Amino acid sequence: MQRGKLRSLIAGFAVAAAALLLAPGSAQAVPSFARQTGFACEACHTVFPELTPYGRRFKLNGYTVDILPQVSGITPSKEQTLMLNQLPPLSFMFQTSYTSTKKALPDTALPDAFAKNGQVLFPQQASLFYAGRIAPNLGAFVQMTYDGTSGSFGWDNTDIRYARLANENFLWGLSLNNNPTVQDLWNTTSAWQSPFDQRSATAPGPGAGTMIDGGLADAGVAGVSAYGYLYNSVYVELGAYRSAPAAAQIDSTSTNVVKGAAPYWRLAYEHQWGRHSLEVGAYGVEAKLYPGGDVPLSGPTNKYSDWALDSQYQYIGDENLVSVTATYIHEKQTLDATYGAGASSNPSDTLKTLRIGASYYYDRKYGGALGYFSTTGSSDDLLYAQGDPVTGFANSKPDSKGWTAELDWVPYENTKIALQYTMYDKFNGGDTNYDGAGRNAKDNNTLYLLGWINF
Amino acid sequence: MKTIIALAVGAVLAAGSTAALAQDQEGAKALATGVCSACHGPQGHSISPVFPNLAGQQSAYITLQLDAFRSHERGDPNARAYMWGMASQLSDTSIKGLADYYAAQKPAVGEIGDKPLMAEGQKIYTQGIAAQGVPACASCHGKDAEGAGAFPRLAGQHADYLVAQLQGFQSGTRANAPIMANVVRSMSPEQIKAAATYAASR
Ligand code: HEC
Ligand code: HEC
Repeated sequence: MQRGKLRSLIAGFAVAAAALLLAPGSAQAVPSFARQTGFACEACHTVFPELTPYGRRFKLNGYTVDILPQVSGITPSKEQTLMLNQLPPLSFMFQTSYTSTKKALPDTALPDAFAKNGQVLFPQQASLFYAGRIAPNLGAFVQMTYDGTSGSFGWDNTDIRYARLANENFLWGLSLNNNPTVQDLWNTTSAWQSPFDQRSATAPGPGAGTMIDGGLADAGVAGVSAYGYLYNSVYVELGAYRSAPAAAQIDSTSTNVVKGAAPYWRLAYEHQWGRHSLEVGAYGVEAKLYPGGDVPLSGPTNKYSDWALDSQYQYIGDENLVSVTATYIHEKQTLDATYGAGASSNPSDTLKTLRIGASYYYDRKYGGALGYFSTTGSSDDLLYAQGDPVTGFANSKPDSKGWTAELDWVPYENTKIALQYTMYDKFNGGDTNYDGAGRNAKDNNTLYLLGWINF
Repeated sequence: MKTIIALAVGAVLAAGSTAALAQDQEGAKALATGVCSACHGPQGHSISPVFPNLAGQQSAYITLQLDAFRSHERGDPNARAYMWGMASQLSDTSIKGLADYYAAQKPAVGEIGDKPLMAEGQKIYTQGIAAQGVPACASCHGKDAEGAGAFPRLAGQHADYLVAQLQGFQSGTRANAPIMANVVRSMSPEQIKAAATYAASR
């Protein structure tokens, strides 16, 4: 091969590898798991994407339980070197939605004019998944997504894992993934939060959020973690993330670039009795980030120390399903870089998020959910500046609070229709005129209708 | 000389077959701990009543059930949702190995239900309900509900699971067991609950 060609191939591969780790959105249950295991969705999901105790077990095991005909290879010493499903475990997901806010959003070009309220996205999101075993003890969950708002196709949630059962009381594994918490087993954490795993892609959302609650994932990271599961109840995980945005090189044009590696940790205890299960846990991340955005990637960094508590309760009856999830996240921001550059008024700030939700399903078909959310934090004139209408913070505070309610209909195990309403008591620091341009928190109240199919 | 060769061949064959047997047992144990235990629990002691305890279950009965899942003859909702796929790739040898593995585990200890229910259950279990043509359960499942061969152990099972199965026999979703369909045909929901509670508590 010519050198030039080789070089461009390597470069191409590097770009592809970087693209592979692009910022993820949200993903779900996948029918290829059902095809691979022969289990109906209900074995692993209460209602997708929330996992049952067995679903957590299947994920812990590296997505490897399999009943399909295999293409296999062994060495003379009978070591298994290949074990591939004869049919690739592919699935497809399609989401379409309708969003309307209480008050229409301002026109992006004309002053004093308004955009059309009532946005239909068709699709909101469409994804292709490879989800299943790829080798003995090795499995993958890989999602490619077409995003209806940006009109682009990109790499989404990825979790490639290796798992070994040492004995009945100890299982360990490794996960290579691109979204801190995408590897998690409970639906309290950011990547797979339940009950409101889906929200409108077009309505305005609160502007402030912590790193562990999606901030790092949005910045584009990739990481490895090692986990152990003891006595079917204690889960311990330790990992580290590095920056891996979808760019050929990481430089001053990137934002929130991780210095070195950011350690991630997770501890949880789950108790199961009869048809009930209860989890209590903690998780967190320590990230030193160069803010970037036209600032060289050297010198001081911002340090984000996040710790969080979470708990999940599930009752899985023949007819009645009840789930309650809660998490509290505390973030300490030591803003050496941002403060030094005069872009924050305080050298350090805090940000706290609380989320509680409960859902009930009858017959796994008809359901409803109610939840409360709140993000509050330090007042900071520069960090939370007035900015643009709708997205700005006129009161220098990050606070957003409110309620979400949802009605669900799941006519088939792989089809869900959800009608959701979100009410804001506070939005970006205020209730009335929060953006300094006359918009009230309540104006962002959002009605959202979602149709969602997996096959 | 001939006898020596014959003996030697015999020894090799014997050694070979015990090795194969040991391997089967190892394989069955690995399958049980690696795959089945995720639902049926370590050593066949499960937590949720959706998943039956397998510990101490009759080997012949387990074999028959896995066969019935594999051939889709046992088709109640949970059999379809969970066990059809699971059993589809099991070979006859692994089924036998799994059945023997679970039969050899120590059965779970049954839970005692509330008194009036237990009393009614005991009556049905030991004497049947003559007026409704319900035979005594003990006549097939044994005095202590330990089962025998193709008659399953009920002792130590989750009562909720037993109730669900009896409902399945009655409604015809678990349609491959004419004997049990006959037994439960005329039983009321309360009688089903009582009999299941008593049998599970043994
Ligand atoms: C994903 C969960 C799951 C896994 C894994 C699983 N099972 Fe099951 N199994 C079930 C459920 C649920 C039932 C009850 C079905 C019903 O209600 O008809 C069941 C029923 C059975 C029964 C019938 C018991 C009875 O009392 O009639 C046997 C035998 C059995 N399983 C054996 C196995 C074996 C052997 C394995 C491993 C190769 C296994 N199962 C793996 C969920 C599972
Ligand atoms: C004539 C014999 C006979 C009598 C009497 C009988 N059973 Fe059964 N029972 C069986 C057989 C055989 C099976 C296994 C059916 C199959 O192969 O699917 C069974 C299965 C069951 C099961 C399912 C167990 C499992 O693990 O899935 C339950 C529960 C049960 N019997 C309860 C009862 C009760 C309660 C009574 C008394 C009211 C009773 N049986 C009377 C023969 C009998």
